[in-house]
Amino acid sequence: MADFVMEARHVYKTYGRKNAKKTKQANGDTSDGAKHVVEAVKDVSLQIKKGDIKLIFGPSGSGKSTFLRCLAMLDIPDKGEIYLGDECLTKPGVDLNKARARIGFVFQHIYLFRHLTALGNVELALRQVLKLPKEEARKRALAALAEVKVTDCANKFPAQMSGGQAQRVGIARALARNPDIILLDEPTSALDPELTGEVIDTLRDLAREGTTMLIVSHEMPFARDVAEEMIFYDEGRIVETGPPSQFFNAPNTDRAKQFMTRIINRTTRE
Amino acid sequence: MFEFLLNPIYQMWIVQGLLLTVEITLFGVLLGLGLGTLLAIADIYGNRPIKVAIAVYVEFFRGSPLFVQLFLAVYTVPAILNIQIDHLFLAFLVFGLNSAAYQKGYMKGSMETILDDQMQAGLSVGMSKIQTLRHVILPQAYRIVIPSWTNEFCSLTKSTATLAFVGFRDLVGAGRSILINNMQIIPVWLVIAAIYLAWISGFSKLMDIIYEKKKIPGIELLMQ
Ligand SMILES: Nc1ncnc2c1ncn2[C@@H]1O[C@H](COP(=O)(O)OP(=O)(O)OP(=O)(O)O)[C@@H](O)[C@H]1O
Ligand SMILES: [Mg+2]
Repeated sequence: MADFVMEARHVYKTYGRKNAKKTKQANGDTSDGAKHVVEAVKDVSLQIKKGDIKLIFGPSGSGKSTFLRCLAMLDIPDKGEIYLGDECLTKPGVDLNKARARIGFVFQHIYLFRHLTALGNVELALRQVLKLPKEEARKRALAALAEVKVTDCANKFPAQMSGGQAQRVGIARALARNPDIILLDEPTSALDPELTGEVIDTLRDLAREGTTMLIVSHEMPFARDVAEEMIFYDEGRIVETGPPSQFFNAPNTDRAKQFMTRIINRTTRE
Repeated sequence: MFEFLLNPIYQMWIVQGLLLTVEITLFGVLLGLGLGTLLAIADIYGNRPIKVAIAVYVEFFRGSPLFVQLFLAVYTVPAILNIQIDHLFLAFLVFGLNSAAYQKGYMKGSMETILDDQMQAGLSVGMSKIQTLRHVILPQAYRIVIPSWTNEFCSLTKSTATLAFVGFRDLVGAGRSILINNMQIIPVWLVIAAIYLAWISGFSKLMDIIYEKKKIPGIELLMQ
């Protein structure tokens, strides 16, 4: 029996290494080539137990999305291991589709299937992945839409919904399969400020129900209320980990201190 | 002026020519769509040798005149292989292979505009790459490609005159045959042109209606 729902052990992900090598060979300019290498994830380890709610935050471009994509194996890590329960996903020969069916993913830029209605978006995996019969898939999809309060959008296409509605459909799509964990990548950052509230409320509901979640977010009041642990991520690494109280009162590291000051000033000014 | 239209033999030539034109273009454009789709997928996901092979294929069919391709297929290839194949069948095949070379480009282009995010979304819900292609990427790509596909249909329709080089009488062929016995050059070509026009514009109109009906809401924003 695994202790963790999901675990990352010493994960690394670098972008552009191959390109950099090519540039090096092509014009012999090593330093120029090296600049193209982005080390988005450097030796990151993380454990999530059932019912945990953890929150990752940190500067733009620090590699948070990349790390989340690695956890779901949407990007394959260069090094390190990802575990889902006691299955190691980074071993060769693992059925990644099966593994991803047990992971919910909510994207920063929503990424709904554009040619399908809200209902169709949620139904598709229920039919194709879980192989549910038509009626049951429909029932479960409608239940998922109701859970995030977008039943009235069931027959709308993504382009016909507001950003907040679309993102809640995105959450319903991730939820409907009853995944072991949901990974949410800045679910509100692409939304207008007045629409973030409705998505945050949805996430608070999920938190109350004990959904296991790893959320990238900078919504600080939300973080303080629901996160058991906050993880400050910068330049591809976890810099500091602790309960919200630690970050809101006195972060241990200077970098976290500076970042918290900046972000709290920004929120109060708005 | 138009009394040649009353001649039953001329009527038959025109009808048969029109049928051949319609059949070979529909067949060509559909085979081209199927094969073009496979080529587009292979070009996106394939390794280097596959990409090179596809590029050679496309360059050959786009870079040489259709009548040369027809000629090679009907006379040269069977002779070299020392086999007998029905000429009409070969002509149909050439139209399909030729159209596939163009349609591969249209399909690849429309797939590439949606592939990044929609493939990630499909994988994220547990579907395989193939399932995502089938249920997410292709349904969107086909809707996007309809206008290009309509153009391809028009240009293929107008290329059927090349069938004369291998001994078949399409609509233009019918016109030529009529003119051998009847010197009404302008009326004959007017009639032939009117038939082309009616068929092409009717079909295009139908495709426009389908395009509008099946259009993914908000897709214009994506195409900009
Ligand atoms: N597919 C990719 N190819 C090349 N470089 C990439 C790719 N994806 C991300 N990167 C680079 O990796 C770094 C980390 O990006 P990532 O999107 O993970 O950061 P982030 O912390 O999520 O930022 P944000 O808060 O802006 O979303 C960036 O420098 C980015 O340019
Ligand atoms: Mg990000």
